[in-house]
Amino acid sequence: MNHDPFLWGRPSNDTYGAYNHAIAQASVQEATHDQLDQFPKKHTQQPIITGTSVIALKYKDGIIMAADTMGSYGSLMRFNNIERLFRVGKETVVGISGDISDMQQLHRILNELETDEEVYDNDGGHNLRAPHVHEYLTRILYNRRSKMDPLWNAVLVGGFNDDGSPFLKYVDLLGVAYGSSTLATGFGNHLAIPLLRQLIPNDTDYVNVTEEQAKKVVMDCMRVLFYRDARSFDKFSMVTIKDGGKGFDFEKNIKIDNQSWRFARDIKGYGSKQE
Amino acid sequence: MNATVASEYSAEVHSVPIEHRFNPYSDNGGTVLGIAGEDFAVLAGDTRQVVGYSINSRYEPKIFDVGDDIVMTANGFAADGAALIDRFRNQLKWYKFDHGGKKLSIKSAARYIQHLLYGKRFFPYYVSTLIAGLDDEGKGAVYSYDPVGSYEREQCRAGGAAASLIMPFLDNQVNFKNQYEPGTDGKKKKELRYLTLPEVLDLVKDAFSSATERHIQVGDGLEILIVTKEGIRTEYHPLKRD
Amino acid sequence: MPGLSFDNYQRNHFLTTKGFGAPTATSTGTTIVGCQFKGGVVIAADTRATAGDIVADKNCEKLHRLAPKIWCAGAGTAADTEMVTQLIASNLELHSLLQNRDPRVITALTMLKQHLFKYQGHLGAYLIVAGVDPTGAHLLSVQAHGSTDVGKYQSLGSGSLAAMAVLETHFKEDMTKEEAMKLCADAIESGIWNDLGSGSNVDLCVMEVGKDAELYRNYLTPNVRSQKAKNYVFPRGTTGVLRENVRELLDIEETVVTFGDAMEVDA
Repeated sequence: MNHDPFLWGRPSNDTYGAYNHAIAQASVQEATHDQLDQFPKKHTQQPIITGTSVIALKYKDGIIMAADTMGSYGSLMRFNNIERLFRVGKETVVGISGDISDMQQLHRILNELETDEEVYDNDGGHNLRAPHVHEYLTRILYNRRSKMDPLWNAVLVGGFNDDGSPFLKYVDLLGVAYGSSTLATGFGNHLAIPLLRQLIPNDTDYVNVTEEQAKKVVMDCMRVLFYRDARSFDKFSMVTIKDGGKGFDFEKNIKIDNQSWRFARDIKGYGSKQE
Repeated sequence: MNATVASEYSAEVHSVPIEHRFNPYSDNGGTVLGIAGEDFAVLAGDTRQVVGYSINSRYEPKIFDVGDDIVMTANGFAADGAALIDRFRNQLKWYKFDHGGKKLSIKSAARYIQHLLYGKRFFPYYVSTLIAGLDDEGKGAVYSYDPVGSYEREQCRAGGAAASLIMPFLDNQVNFKNQYEPGTDGKKKKELRYLTLPEVLDLVKDAFSSATERHIQVGDGLEILIVTKEGIRTEYHPLKRD
Repeated sequence: MPGLSFDNYQRNHFLTTKGFGAPTATSTGTTIVGCQFKGGVVIAADTRATAGDIVADKNCEKLHRLAPKIWCAGAGTAADTEMVTQLIASNLELHSLLQNRDPRVITALTMLKQHLFKYQGHLGAYLIVAGVDPTGAHLLSVQAHGSTDVGKYQSLGSGSLAAMAVLETHFKEDMTKEEAMKLCADAIESGIWNDLGSGSNVDLCVMEVGKDAELYRNYLTPNVRSQKAKNYVFPRGTTGVLRENVRELLDIEETVVTFGDAMEVDA
C-alpha cells in the first residue's frame, strides 16, 4: 500500500506496476461507444436529492395523504417547493419519498400509464384505479431491484377499489408491498404510525373515523415529524379523496399549526451544574 | 486505444461493478406452518409483516389459494414471496389453457415449484416455501422447500422466523418424537396415528400463540387455510399485538 | 495504570474474523420515558428483554433505584444498565453519608456520565435519571458515550420514537400527577404496540416533592397470555427409564426394639 497522502489507498507501483486510473474514474473520455460495455455500469447507488416521509390513512369516506415539500441534499435544504403527491387518473393519489430524480421518473411512467389506459384504451367502463396503479408500480420497482438498479423510493398509493371501498398500499425500492389502514414511509414509520394507530387500532376501524378526526391526526403527525425528523419541513401538501373518487381535494402550502417551542425558555444547560 | 477496466495485475480482471451498497433483500419476518392429516391438510401463518423493529402491517396475508385445491406460501423476503406465488399462479393458468382445463396434481405442482426456485439458483428467492393440498389418493400432503428448490414431502413443517421454535414442538406432537408407551421402559415408541382436524387446529393455535410469546416478529393474527375434499376454507384468530 | 486497556483489541478482532466473536449480550431493546409534572416527576418502562429476535424475559425490571428518591430507567445492554446503576447507587449512598445530606439528582447524573465517558461507549447504558432532592424534582438523561440532556419529557430506547410521538402531541406544562402517569403509560404503550423491541407490561415510578417515591410494578398488564387450546401433560412413563442406579451413600441400620407384649390394636 502506498502511504503518500496523494496516492493513498492505491497499490504500490513497485509491486503492481503503474496504477490504472481508468478504474477509479471509470472514465469514458477516450472510449468508443462499443467499448462502453467494458466499464462498470453505474446504477443508482445512493439517493442524492431526497424527500422525507409520506403519511396516509383511510377514513370512513376515503383516503387522506400528506407529504412535506422539501428536497434535501444530504443535510442541506436544497429545495423547499417540491410537490411529492401526484394525482393519477381520476381518483388515485400517489405519494413518493426517497430520491427525487427517481420520483420524477416514476411520475413520467405514471403519466404514460394514465395516457395509455384512460385516453387510448376504449375498453368501456374499465377505469384506472388505485389497485392497478399499485400493482404496476410494484412490478416496476421489483424488476428494477432484480436488475440491481433500483429506483430509490418508497411509495404510497391511495384510492378506491372497484367496489368503492378505500384502497391504501405501500411499495418500496425492493418491491416489498403491503396494505394497511395507516401507512407511512421513512421516519413516518417510526413517528407517525404510532399516532395513526391510536386512532385506527384495527385495520377495519377506519369506518368510524370522520374527516375532521383524520385531518387532525394528520396535522399532529406532521407536527411531530417536523419536531423530530431533521430532514422535514413545516409546509406540506395534503390530498383528500372521498365518496368513491367524486371528491378530489388537493390542498397545498399548508403550514403546521400549534407548534410549541416554549420548553426552550425553561431548559438551561445539559445537566452539568445545578441551575 | 483500448479502454479497459482491468488493473495491471491480471488475475483481477473485472467486468462487473467493483462495489455495490444496494442490498436487494430484506427480512420481513413472520412464520408459517403446514400439517397434513389423513384426508386434509392445513397451511397456517401469522399476518404480521415487519422490517427491522417496525411493524409494516398487522394484516398482510401470506397464504394463498393458488387454484386446483393447492394452498401456497413463501415466507421470508416478502417481495420474492409475492413474485414466486404470482409466477406459479400464472403458470398454472397457462397449464389449464394448454391442457383443456386439466387439474394439476400437487405432486406435479411441487416439482414445478422446484424449477421456479432453482431457475434463480444464483440470485435466489429468499423464502421458505410450503404448499399443501390432497394427493391423488385424497391423502393430505405438505411439501416444503429450501430457497433454491430442494424439496421433500412431509407430514409437517414449520418455516420462517420462528421455525426453530415450532418445529421441535411439531416433532413431538405430530410425529410423537421422544414419546414412549408408558410402562415399556422406553422400549416401545408411542404408535403413530393420524391426528384429527380439530386436534391439528388446536396444535396450530398453540404453536402460534407460543411463538408470539417468544419471537418478536410473530403476532397480530393467525390465518389458517384448510384443504379438504370439500374445498378450501379459511379461519382467522387474533394473536397478541406487542 | 489508570484508564482503559486495549491490549486485547487486535486479538479480539482477529478472533472475530475467525468466527469467534464476542457473545451477544441480552439487550433491553426498550421503551423508557420520563415526564415532569407540577411538584414531581414520573418515569416508566416496558418489561420486555430480548436476545436478538427472541424474547429473553417477558417481565423484566428496567426501573432501578439509585437512591430512595432517585430512580432511573435503563435501556441498552441489560448487564451494563444493571451494574452501572448498582455501582452509582453505592457511591451515591457513601457520598450522602459523607456529606450528611440527601443525594441530589445532578450528583447521580454526574457520577454516571463520568463513569460512562471513561468507557467511551463500551458500556451500553442509556439511562433516564429522575428524582426529587432538596433542590426540587429533576428529569435528565445520559447516553452511553457520556453525553447528558435535560428536558421536561424524555424517551430512550428502540421504542423512543413511538413514545416521543405521544409525548410531543400530548405533553402539557404543569400537569397533575395523574395526568403525568397517564401520559407516561400511554407513551410506553405506544412503544409496546409499535416497536418490536418493546412489549409486555408497563412499570412506573412516581417521585413527588416531599413524599416517598412510589414504584408501580406492572402498572398496566395489557399482554396477558390467553389459555392454551390443548393440555400438554404427558402420562407418567412417556419418557422411558433406561437405567436405574441407586447409590447408598450411608448405611442405615434399623433395629426394632419391642417393649413387653405387642401393642393391642383395636378391633
